[in-house]
Amino acid sequence: MSNNPLLHGAHGERHLLLGNEAIVRGALEAGVHIVTCYPGTPSSEVPDTFHRIGGEGRYRLEYSVNEKVAMEVAAGAALGGAMSLVTMKHVGLNVAADPLFTAVYTGLPGGLVVLSADDPGCHSSQNEQDNRYYARFAMLPCFEPASAQEAKDMTREAFSLARQLEQPVLLRTTTRISHMRGPVDFDDLPAPQPKVEFRREPSRFVPVPAVARRRHVVLDEIVARARQIAENSPFNTVTEPAAPTDLGIIVSGVSRNYLADALSANDWADSVRVLELGMTWPLPEEKVSSFLNQCKRVLVLEEGEDLLEQDIRALVQKRGLSVLIDGKNDILTHQGEYSTTLVTRRLAQWLQVSCSVQEPRCAEPDLPGRPPNLCPGCSHRAVYYTVRQVFGDDAYYSSDIGCYTLGLLPPLRTADFLVCMGSSISAGSGFARASEKPVIAFIGDSTFFHSGMTGLANAVFNQHNVLMIILDNGTTAMTGHQPNPGMVQDMLGGMSSHMDIETIVRGMGVTDVAKVRAFNIKTLTKTLEEMKSKPGVRVLITEEPCVLYARRQLKKTSPQVAEVAQQGEEALRCLEQLACPAFYRDGDNLAVDATLCTGCMVCLQVAPGAFKARKRQG
Amino acid sequence: MTMQNNQKRMRVYFTGVGGQGTLTATTLLARTALEAGLEVVAGEVHGMAQRGGVVESVMLLGGWRSPKLDLGEADVMLGFEPLETLRGLPYLKKGGAVFSSSDPMPPVSVSLGKAEYPAMNRIKASVCEVAGVCHFIPCRELGIQAGSVQSGNTVLLSAVCASGVLPFGVDALEEAIKKFLPAKLQEVNLKALELGKTALKG
Repeated sequence: MSNNPLLHGAHGERHLLLGNEAIVRGALEAGVHIVTCYPGTPSSEVPDTFHRIGGEGRYRLEYSVNEKVAMEVAAGAALGGAMSLVTMKHVGLNVAADPLFTAVYTGLPGGLVVLSADDPGCHSSQNEQDNRYYARFAMLPCFEPASAQEAKDMTREAFSLARQLEQPVLLRTTTRISHMRGPVDFDDLPAPQPKVEFRREPSRFVPVPAVARRRHVVLDEIVARARQIAENSPFNTVTEPAAPTDLGIIVSGVSRNYLADALSANDWADSVRVLELGMTWPLPEEKVSSFLNQCKRVLVLEEGEDLLEQDIRALVQKRGLSVLIDGKNDILTHQGEYSTTLVTRRLAQWLQVSCSVQEPRCAEPDLPGRPPNLCPGCSHRAVYYTVRQVFGDDAYYSSDIGCYTLGLLPPLRTADFLVCMGSSISAGSGFARASEKPVIAFIGDSTFFHSGMTGLANAVFNQHNVLMIILDNGTTAMTGHQPNPGMVQDMLGGMSSHMDIETIVRGMGVTDVAKVRAFNIKTLTKTLEEMKSKPGVRVLITEEPCVLYARRQLKKTSPQVAEVAQQGEEALRCLEQLACPAFYRDGDNLAVDATLCTGCMVCLQVAPGAFKARKRQG
Repeated sequence: MTMQNNQKRMRVYFTGVGGQGTLTATTLLARTALEAGLEVVAGEVHGMAQRGGVVESVMLLGGWRSPKLDLGEADVMLGFEPLETLRGLPYLKKGGAVFSSSDPMPPVSVSLGKAEYPAMNRIKASVCEVAGVCHFIPCRELGIQAGSVQSGNTVLLSAVCASGVLPFGVDALEEAIKKFLPAKLQEVNLKALELGKTALKG
């Protein structure tokens, strides 16, 4: 029995919540039945929180193998009458786009909310795509919270709308909202919500062309209804200054915070009228028009693409309004994140006043960098080191999405190219075909299940030449140790089933398969040497639990730590080629930080004689 | 849309190394502030970028809406590692307060002998040139003394609460530790709290 406030907090309680936790509470206040996901920063704490608090039978949570599958399971659940939530990061929605674009045509009577956590500024992503495009492209209503409180309230509202319209609704956050902490006032948790009974209606739910053409008409009608709802949404508000003015600002998303802080810090709140949009799509055209009607000049503030700006310019043209629209320029661009400082500068320029923003102090020059790194004791380091010893620069390294992408850094340098999640085997296949060079494709266990399996099937079927190394650390490490089908049954519990990677690989027809402990450098070397000269698809599975996962979840630690037995060339070679973060220089000497060393003993194998093991103290 | 309140507005910037527990410390201090009846917003960024890399987070008190702060805006900076204190210095407002650990955790480039860790007196001189209040405390060492390396973070939080720069004191932090930390961590952290108070006086 959990006493977690998310599950038991009563009406009127106030708690400091992460934006992602607030979304969980919002979904619970709506009465969510089913949650599916594929983890990805900054979305991961939503399913992880559902997982952590257990739910006591209120909902069923599933870690799906990828976003497309998560979307399909959630859509099926919503067809089956359940209130469903599917969560992912922005690039995940690309993977899930196919089912989404059709789900809006059939509609989903149970109600589906799609959480897309975007990452402007690329804090932990390969691009900064603006998923508000999907709201317009796939035609679904969109909410954009700007505080933890709104994250909760809008989630609940999104479910209500999804049920009312029988239509998927997009809840779009950005990193700063997903990972902000703020006070949240709770409302009641309802009694379990009824599921909507499914009525067979193939002429609606099976979108063959004849059905789809008709449903497109229906979809347009639904969007029109959603637009009416946006017109009256309490999340779309106008703030009038004390004295009338013809200067207006239209603002959405996290920029609403930057604007509020900039106006109040500079005492500008009385100079402008502000239209804040929280339900941002479909655009409430009447509300926006009546706002524009009372302005001579309007500034549009939105992080990311200039979607709102284009829509508003189009509206001005359509309605023949005489108002000047300003938006992005060289201060507020479509790159990266906005901030209070940037918004203040842009406002000062636009209002033609001076502002209080001072030039910041310069960064200290020549400081040693601190890039992210594979952890001390990470098994991927042992594999990468060995692969580099065996193949050096002769092979080309196709990488994938995970902690292991950090193998790109020197001295390991085991990533030459990367396309997207699950692409290492398929992109590696194409690269090998075109270049006729040896290619090694690295992929993690979770990524293998995500979409690496299809690439492997393709490689076998089309007879590509590629060595695939599955870095099996027994969990989805990068996003915080979420379960995947490869995890041992003990850790999965009764709700999920373990799948054996080696059996799958063999079942796909790969005959050259080996499985090696990642920390066993000798066997690893021998196996790589054997596979090196062979043609066709070869698969090496390297196994060793993620070191953080082993410590935190499996409660496994090594009783030993490494220490330097003999200083000199061998020790320094190990330092330079393995570059374990537990190593440090003590003057001319090498030392091992016992608080960081995890006892993997790879250094003892890399430079025998230079290192020795000793019992961990204390 | 503007916040109406009379609380003094204040921005706090936290910086440290991934794995140190900087985010846990930020959350604890933010909860302390909320318990003390203050308007609080905190922000953090996590994910792969933080594995052994720099971790930054913020806490804004007194009615800000944005969960982010810019260069030159921090009234208070908490540095959980001295090199990161120096790197984060541009975020500090001229005359702001700095509380920093004085125990280095060298980045890999330093360990490899490819870069040099700045001398501690250079770090202190640069920081004190900008800061109005400037404290360096051996947090890692005191944390180990209290019973765990991680509790070095509580040493630093305790010092900043004891200094009077925040709108609440050590008592509020002590209450938050008792209310929000798991039982098994309380003793160590309460000990760290005492060490932090003493370190500030010393």
